[in-house]
Amino acid sequence: MEDFLYVGKDVPRTAEINKVTGRAVYIDELKRPGMLYGKILYSRYAHARIKSINTEKAKKLPGVKAVITGYDIPDVRVGFMEDQTVLKRDVVRQYRDEVAAVAATSREIAEEALDLIEVEYEELPAIFDPVEAMKPGAPLIHELDGHGRPVKSNVLPLRWTLNVGDVEKARRESAYVVKDSLTTPWINQCCLGTSGCVAEFDSVNNLTFYSQTNVIFGAKQRISRYFAKIGLKDKKIRVINPIVAGSFGTKLDTDIYEFICIQLALKTRRPVKIQFTREEEFRTLPPRQTTRFEIEQGCDKNGMLTFRKAEAILDNGAYTSWGATTPSVMMMPISSLYRVPNVYFNAVCVYTNNIYSQAMRGYGNPQASFAVEVSMDHLAEEAGIDAAEFRMKNRNRPGEVTPMGLKITTCPLDRCITTVKEKIGWDQKRGKKNGRGVGMASLIHVAGGARVYLSDGTGIRIKVDENGHVDVLSGSTDQGQGSQTVLAQIIAETIGFRPEDINIIFGDTALGLWDAGTHASRHTFIAGNAAIRAGEKVKRQILELAVEYVPKLLKSDFRKQKKKDPDFHEPELDFTLIDNPEKLDIKDRMIFAKKAPENPNFRIDVARVLNRALNVGNGESKTVMAEVFWDPPTQMLNSEMKGNWSCTYAFGTTGAEVEVDTETGEVKILKLVAAHDVGRAMNPTLVKGQIYGAAYIGVGFALTEKLQVVEGRVMNPNLRDYKVLTALDDIPVEAVIVEDPDPMGPYGAKGIGEPGLVPTAPAIANAIYDAIGIRFTDLPITPEKVLAAIRAKKQENQQRDA
Amino acid sequence: MKGYDYYKPDTIEEAMKMMSTLDGAEYIAGGTDVMVLIKKKALSPQNLISLRNISELSYIDTDNGLRIGSGVTHSRISESDFIKRHYSALFDAVSNIGSVQVRNVGTVGGNICNAAPSADTLCPFLVFDAVVLIAGQKGEYQLAIDDFLLGPNRVALAKGEIVKGINLPALGANSGSAYIKHTRRKAMELPIVGIAARIDIDAKGHPNDWKEAFRRIDDISDMLRLLEKERFVCNDARIAMGVVAPRPIRAKKAESALQGKVISEGLLDEIGRIAASESQPRDTLRGEAWYRREMVHVLTKRAVLMALERMIHADSSNNPKTS
Ligand SMILES: Cc1cc2nc3c(=O)[nH]c(=O)nc-3n(C[C@H](O)[C@H](O)[C@H](O)COP(=O)(O)OP(=O)(O)OC[C@H]3O[C@@H](n4cnc5c(N)ncnc54)[C@H](O)[C@@H]3O)c2cc1C
Repeated sequence: MEDFLYVGKDVPRTAEINKVTGRAVYIDELKRPGMLYGKILYSRYAHARIKSINTEKAKKLPGVKAVITGYDIPDVRVGFMEDQTVLKRDVVRQYRDEVAAVAATSREIAEEALDLIEVEYEELPAIFDPVEAMKPGAPLIHELDGHGRPVKSNVLPLRWTLNVGDVEKARRESAYVVKDSLTTPWINQCCLGTSGCVAEFDSVNNLTFYSQTNVIFGAKQRISRYFAKIGLKDKKIRVINPIVAGSFGTKLDTDIYEFICIQLALKTRRPVKIQFTREEEFRTLPPRQTTRFEIEQGCDKNGMLTFRKAEAILDNGAYTSWGATTPSVMMMPISSLYRVPNVYFNAVCVYTNNIYSQAMRGYGNPQASFAVEVSMDHLAEEAGIDAAEFRMKNRNRPGEVTPMGLKITTCPLDRCITTVKEKIGWDQKRGKKNGRGVGMASLIHVAGGARVYLSDGTGIRIKVDENGHVDVLSGSTDQGQGSQTVLAQIIAETIGFRPEDINIIFGDTALGLWDAGTHASRHTFIAGNAAIRAGEKVKRQILELAVEYVPKLLKSDFRKQKKKDPDFHEPELDFTLIDNPEKLDIKDRMIFAKKAPENPNFRIDVARVLNRALNVGNGESKTVMAEVFWDPPTQMLNSEMKGNWSCTYAFGTTGAEVEVDTETGEVKILKLVAAHDVGRAMNPTLVKGQIYGAAYIGVGFALTEKLQVVEGRVMNPNLRDYKVLTALDDIPVEAVIVEDPDPMGPYGAKGIGEPGLVPTAPAIANAIYDAIGIRFTDLPITPEKVLAAIRAKKQENQQRDA
Repeated sequence: MKGYDYYKPDTIEEAMKMMSTLDGAEYIAGGTDVMVLIKKKALSPQNLISLRNISELSYIDTDNGLRIGSGVTHSRISESDFIKRHYSALFDAVSNIGSVQVRNVGTVGGNICNAAPSADTLCPFLVFDAVVLIAGQKGEYQLAIDDFLLGPNRVALAKGEIVKGINLPALGANSGSAYIKHTRRKAMELPIVGIAARIDIDAKGHPNDWKEAFRRIDDISDMLRLLEKERFVCNDARIAMGVVAPRPIRAKKAESALQGKVISEGLLDEIGRIAASESQPRDTLRGEAWYRREMVHVLTKRAVLMALERMIHADSSNNPKTS
C-alpha cells in the first residue's frame, strides 16, 4: 500500500471544535439586525375548500409586522412538478398546507398572531390510500397540472419502468420461484437541528438567503425561477449555508417555508427568520414515503438467479418533491444487486391527501433492498441453499455491466459476505430456530457521484496566502458528516501541506463555483477528485515560484549571515538540484530537493517563498491560486432507465444476530456487523461514524420508527412517540472497513454516506426469520406484530395437529 | 406562550400564602411537566410559584421505613444505595425516567401530583403502601397513595395544598420488589405498561441463613423448586399496574391469589392471568389493548420473580444489578 501522510489517517475533526463548545452558528443562533420571526398557519383539514380567511385581528396585534395569505402574494406555482403554490388559496389538500403566515418582532408574538387568524373551511372528501387513489373514478387530488392542463389520474406522469431480457420466459424456466409483498412506513429524517432559514433583501431587492439546503446552487436556481414569476427577474441571489445540523434528504428541495420566508422579508423590508419547532418538523417536513412492493424472483436448480420482477407503489402525498424520483435508485438494487439476467421493474407514485413526501438517506434504496433481500432469503430457503452461499454464488464481480447498464469497476462483495459470515458466527448459529437467529443482507449504491442533473460537477478554488495558509472555496456543502476534515486531508496530501494549514469554506454561492449538491453519497468522491486536480495545479505554481525565488532567498540569507558573522562561509550549493519544478517537492509545507531531501539549505517553508513572490516591489508580484471544475465522465439514465450514472458503485453486507423474546415479542439485537466497501477509507474514524449512524437509523427503520399518519394527520409529532433510537439503545454495531481502492476515486475512495442504512432492516428481518421461522414483510417489526405472528403460528400448528 | 411572573419562596407557609393571594398561580417544582403544559398552551398561569428553594421539601430519611421530601429529584433517589437495595422497585422507576437531564430536575412530588397514568413512581408507591404527607390550610395530614390518586392527572389536593413528602412503611426482613417499565427504547420513554411487585416471604421455622442455599442457585426454575420443597410461603404481596387504567391501580385479586401460597411457575402464570383480567387497557397509538393486557400477564410473572431474586440477594452489594 502506498504511504500516505494524511489520507487514511484518523485526522481529528478540528473544524468541529466550535460545535462542541457551543460557538458554531447554526440557523438557531443566526441573527440579523432588525430581524423578524415568521410563523406559518397550516390547514385544519386533509382536504377542504377555503371559504374565507380573516387576518384583521392578527394584523392588529402589537409587534406583528405582516400577515400574508395566498391572496396577498402572486398566485404562482413552485415545486418539483409545479403542483403547488406558496400559500394556498382556494383548496387545501393536506394537513401541512400553508394557509397564512405572520412576521412579528418575536416568535411568541408571531405564534399568538396565528391563533388570531380565522379560517373557514368546507371539508371535502379525502383519499388516503394510494391503491384506492389509483382506481379509475377515484376523486382527483389535482384537477390541473403545472401547465394548467387537466389531470386524468392520481398517478403521477412519471414513468419508472425498466425491462431487460424476458422475465416471463425466465420464470417458466426457473426451478424455484418466490413471491413476496412488502411494505415500509413513513419515516421522518429526525435531523438533530430543526429546519429554518433567514431571508434578507437589500434596498434594491437583491436577496441573501441563509438556508440549510445541501444543494445551494439548485436552491438559487429555484428561487431565481420563482423571482422571474413574481416580478423580481434578474435580481441577484446569494445562498449561504449556516452550520447545518443534519439534512438526510430534507434539504434537497427548496421547501415551501423558504418561499414564505422570502415573501415575508419582501413584504416587511426586514430580514425574517423561520425556524421550525420539533412538532412542525414532524408535521410539515416531507418524510420518506410509504412503499408497497410486490417482488418475485427465481433461480435455476443450481441456485443461479434467473429473473427478478418488482412493482412498487409510492404514496406521493398531495404534492411532489424529489421523493418521486426515488424509483430511479430503487431500480439499482432491483436490477443490479447480485447477477440477475432478466429484470422487470415498475413503480408508480400516487397523489393522496397525505403529507407529501421527499427522499431520505438511501433514496429509495432501503425500501427496495428490503424487498430484494427478504425475497433472496425466501428463495434460498425454497431452493434449499444456505442463504449466505446463495448470495455468494450470485454476487457481483468486477468488470461486469449490470442490466441497468451500471459498469462495476471494483467489487469486493465476496469479502463483505465472508467477513460478515465469520464475524457473526454464521455457520455455528444459522438455522437453529430457537429464538436466536442470524441473518444477512447486502447492498449496491452509487459511490462515485450520481448524474441526476445534466451536470454532476463541482467547482473548487484553492488559494494559498503568504503565510502558507490555504483557503479552499468549495461550491459544495457540509451537513455535519466531516467534509471539512476529509477535504483538508486530501488537499494536504496533494500539495504537501498539513491539514491544519487548510481552511475550508463551504456553502456560499457567491464564493464557490457551481456544485450539484451534497447528496447521493457523492461529496468525498466528486469534491475530492476536484480537490486533487486543483491541488496539483497549486503545487505546480508553488514549485515554479520556488525555482525562481529559493536561490534568491538563499543568497540574501547568506548575505545577512555574513553581515552578522564575518567568518561565515557561504556553502557550496548545487543549484541544479532545484532548477526545475520537477526536481522539487513539498512535505509538511516545506519545499525540498527530491535528490537531496535532507539538505537543510534547500528546505524552505512555502510561506517564505510566497511572501517573497508577492512582495517583489517591481510590478511582477505573484500569488498562488487555482480552480478546477470537474464533471465526472458518467451518463444520465436514458428513456429505458439505463445508463452508467456513477463512476463507481459501493457494495456492502450487514449481518445481524437477534434474540426474540417470544413472550413479549421484543427483538433484541445481539450483534450487527456492517462490512462496507469504501474503496479506501480517507479517515477510518469518520467512515465508521457514517456506518454507525446509518446502521442505527437502519435499526430504527427495521424495528421502531414509523410516522403514524392517520387520515392524513401526523399523530406522533414528537420525539417521545416517534421512536428514533437514542444513545442509550446500545446497538452493538461492528463496522468493518473493506478496502479495495477505486481507480477513479480520490486516493481510491468511494462514497459511504448512505450505504450503512440500506441492508440493515432486511438483515434484521432475515435474522428474525432464522430465530422464529416467521417472515416479516411490514416495517417496523414491532413487538405487537411479532407476538401476534407467533400466536397465529401456534394456532396454525395446533389446528394442523388436531 | 404568554409571559408569567416567577416567585421563589423559602418556606411552605410563604408558598401557601402566595398561592392564596396571587391570581392564576401554579406551583412548579422541577417544571418538567408544568413547562410542557405551558408550551402546549394547556396551562397559561399568570404566576409561577417555585418550590425549589424550600429546604423543608428536600429530605431523605431512612430511619424505620423511608421518608422522601416531595422536592427530592429522581437523580437523588437513584443515588441512594439504601433505596436501591431495600426499595428496589422505586429505584427501578426513578432510574429510568426520561433522561439524565429530566431526572436531574424532575421531582417525586411533581411526579405524583401530576399523576399521569404512566407516571413511573406511582406503581412502586402503591406496592409500598406509601402515604402522602400534605400541608393543608388546617395543618398537616396524611392520605394513602391509593386514595390520593383520583384519575388521569387528578389527585386529592385542595387548591393551595402542598405535598410535603411521601412516607413508606418499613419492610419485612424477607421482602423484595421490582418495577418493570415496558418500553420500545431505553430512554425518553413513557411505559407502554408498567408493573411493580413486592413480595414478603415467611421464613418462620427456617434457619437464619436460609437464603444461602438459594444464593447458590442460578437457575430460576431450580430456585422455585427449592422454594416449593422447603415450603416457603408468600405472606404478603402487592402488585400494581400502570397505563392499563385511568390511573395506576393495584391488582388486588392477583395479590390475594399469591397470599399464603408457595410461589411456583404455575402459580405465577395464574397470577399473571388474573392481573391481566383486572387491567382495563385501551387501544392507543402508543400500544394496542390486547398487547398491553398480554404484557400485564407476562410482566407480572417477571416482576414477581425479580422481586423474589432480589429478596434472596438483598444483602449483596450489587443488588439489584443495574444494567
Ligand atoms: C422529556 C421528558 C421525559 C419524561 N419522562 C418521564 C418518565 O419516563 N416517567 C415519568 O413518570 N415521567 C416522565 N416525565 C414527566 C415528569 O418529568 C415527571 O412527572 C416529573 O417527576 C415531574 O416532576 P417536576 O418536579 O418536574 O414537576 P413539575 O412539572 O414542577 O410539577 C408537576 C405538577 O405537580 C405540581 N406540584 C409539584 N410539586 C408539588 C408539591 N410539592 N405539592 C403540590 N403540587 C406540586 C405542579 O403544580 C404541577 O401541577 C418526563 C417529562 C419530560 C419533559
